[in-house]
Amino acid sequence: MNGWTAAGTALLLCGFAPAACGVATGRASRRVPAQNVATTLLSLVFLLLAQGFARPAYVDTALVLSVLGPAGTLLFVRLLADQLADHPPGERRLRALTVGNYVAVAAVVLPLSAAAGPGRAMVKLLIIGVLLALGSWVATRAVHAAAAMGHGRGAPAEGMSGDR
Amino acid sequence: MVRALTAGGELLGWWAALTLLWIVLIGPVDTLEWVVGAGAGLLAAAAARGARRAVGDR
Repeated sequence: MNGWTAAGTALLLCGFAPAACGVATGRASRRVPAQNVATTLLSLVFLLLAQGFARPAYVDTALVLSVLGPAGTLLFVRLLADQLADHPPGERRLRALTVGNYVAVAAVVLPLSAAAGPGRAMVKLLIIGVLLALGSWVATRAVHAAAAMGHGRGAPAEGMSGDR
Repeated sequence: MVRALTAGGELLGWWAALTLLWIVLIGPVDTLEWVVGAGAGLLAAAAARGARRAVGDR
């Protein structure tokens, strides 16, 4: 075991596992943001383990998850829009989760990029990092829009009116 | 004429960016990968322009 696998395992147990618990239990207002966090953290775990086991091909799992994770969250936001509108998640908690995602992405991707050194591998890691951060932002924005429908019933939020 | 040039320019831009993305994300870079990447990039460029127009031109 080296530092990368230790960090990956720690993130899996202390980050992803609680987030997965949050996805599996409670109301939609907790499950959907937790899903956003869980997919982001799992992608970071894949990156750390790929580096730890010296298998660059495994980075592709993180790349795929960085695209499919936010897409899955958007799907559930759409499907559970009614429940999110009935019980909107707290603004501060949502913001804290998003900022936490950004910090986690930076804390993992930047050291990995430094370890990879200048080159195509580094560009690939940075692209995955940007995709993760953007995906987290988009998913949070969608949750906000769904929740805003609950705050102001009758005044659909931007992007959630379904008239397009 | 101007419209066709704009459309062609946009497609070319998308194609260049997406082909570059393909080349960065794959493993070994050989001639076959360039050919496949350029083809996939062209398809994706057409889809990207369609998606951009769907969102932008209301």
